[in-house]
Amino acid sequence: MTNKEILLVEDNPDDVELTRLAFEESKIANKLVVVGDGAAALDYLFAQGKHADRDPAQLPSIVLLDLNLPKVDGREVLQAIRANETTKTLPVVVLTTSAEPFDVEASYALGVNSYIQKPVDFEQFVWAVKQVGLYWLVLNHPRSS
Amino acid sequence: MSHAHALHPGDDCFRLAMNSSGIGMAIIGLDGTWREINPALEHMLGYRGAELIGRPAARWVHPDDAEHARAQTEALIDGRIATVDAPQRYLHRNGDTVWVHANAVVMRSPAGAPLYLLVQLRDTSAQRQAEAALRANAEQHATALEASNRQLQLFADAVSHDLRAPLRSIDSFSALLAERAGDALDETSRDYLARVRSAATRMGSLLAALSDLSYATRAELKPAAVDLSLIAEWVAAELQEAEPERSADMRVQPGLIGVGDERLLKLLLTELIGNAWKFSRECPQARIDVSGETGEDGALRLRVRDAGCGFDMRYAHKLFEPFQRLHGPEQGAGHGLGLAIAQRIVERHHGHLRAESTPGGGSTFHLELPAAPAP
Repeated sequence: MTNKEILLVEDNPDDVELTRLAFEESKIANKLVVVGDGAAALDYLFAQGKHADRDPAQLPSIVLLDLNLPKVDGREVLQAIRANETTKTLPVVVLTTSAEPFDVEASYALGVNSYIQKPVDFEQFVWAVKQVGLYWLVLNHPRSS
Repeated sequence: MSHAHALHPGDDCFRLAMNSSGIGMAIIGLDGTWREINPALEHMLGYRGAELIGRPAARWVHPDDAEHARAQTEALIDGRIATVDAPQRYLHRNGDTVWVHANAVVMRSPAGAPLYLLVQLRDTSAQRQAEAALRANAEQHATALEASNRQLQLFADAVSHDLRAPLRSIDSFSALLAERAGDALDETSRDYLARVRSAATRMGSLLAALSDLSYATRAELKPAAVDLSLIAEWVAAELQEAEPERSADMRVQPGLIGVGDERLLKLLLTELIGNAWKFSRECPQARIDVSGETGEDGALRLRVRDAGCGFDMRYAHKLFEPFQRLHGPEQGAGHGLGLAIAQRIVERHHGHLRAESTPGGGSTFHLELPAAPAP
């Protein structure tokens, strides 16, 4: 479990730093891989483009996905993940600013595992990220690869 | 030119007056036939007087108005009414409807016996066209205004949404700074940092309230029978849980059923009971009562009463306006949107909300929810 990575797809550098801190605080030792836009996320997951040297069989244990991303939108990333045989069952948690019903609806329709609205308050944000980490990386039993 | 029997053989002045008038005038016999028609009326209907004289005038009244006109004429002649003064429709030679304002009276002998009917018809087509244009204009403006308001709301929503991320940064990094450098800072610096966090918290609360206000305005109503007692208890429990150290005596009358959208009604009670809770801060024990009854008309009348600091009724008219506060922050005042949100929800349910209070004597909010809100 500890050698499996967490893929964070997030374009806001402040939120990246806060997420990293939250995982550090909860003693989650998995490596945090950060990509800043949707295209880079797909490149990473499918071992193509600038991540062509990656082993495509090595998938992260969880994807934390923001919805509003440059280049390729979070929804499209989610769709691509679910459409591909290899990545179909990869746990994806949307971690985003919006809690608009249509965003939540669309995400679940596209097969997201969980939808979290990023809290504005610092302590609550850290708590939320910790919960996500502990649940998916410690408590949840992953599908064996 | 009409060639009727001269009514007043020596009175060429009156004949000249009738023929000169710009208003259509006619003398109609008690048998309902045209007797004299002036040029204005000829022009209005598109006929020469000679074509009309001796024919029943009713045939030129629009079929939809004919029955009413006949009844009015009878009433006139009988003396039951003194005059007819009303809009009426006539038929032009070419088939078009002519809108007029008609005035009819009975011409009587010195002894009072009815002789003839005097009818004056003023063409109101131009007036009606102008009114229609005004109405169309007003409708256009109303539609444009609605669209503009919608756009404004969407813009406000987008802005408050986009403010969340930078606010999180401000809150988070000042908290982290306090943690990391706190000991190295002097008391004033730590105080300044605390103010930054406090301001960020207030802003976060304001953004949440704006989001609630937008939701209250835009959300689709899903009306159903709602147990408001249950919701009130739930809200009260949430408030106590958030501040377990506060002593409270909150009583909710059971069985208060109202008709409305459950989520919006919960938000409404959260605002009202939340207010009662907030402004009872100074009291050793917060005493809040929720009670009510269903009237004969099926409407629910509900009261949320507290024994808190109250407000001056002189400012009651400002109570429900957004951002208007009647208290300072030390008395517990927040962003000033709570009651605006409550009012918006009540309006959407076609209900009524009012408050009464005395400074230091607590407040009572009266809520009325009609039996079945219009969609």
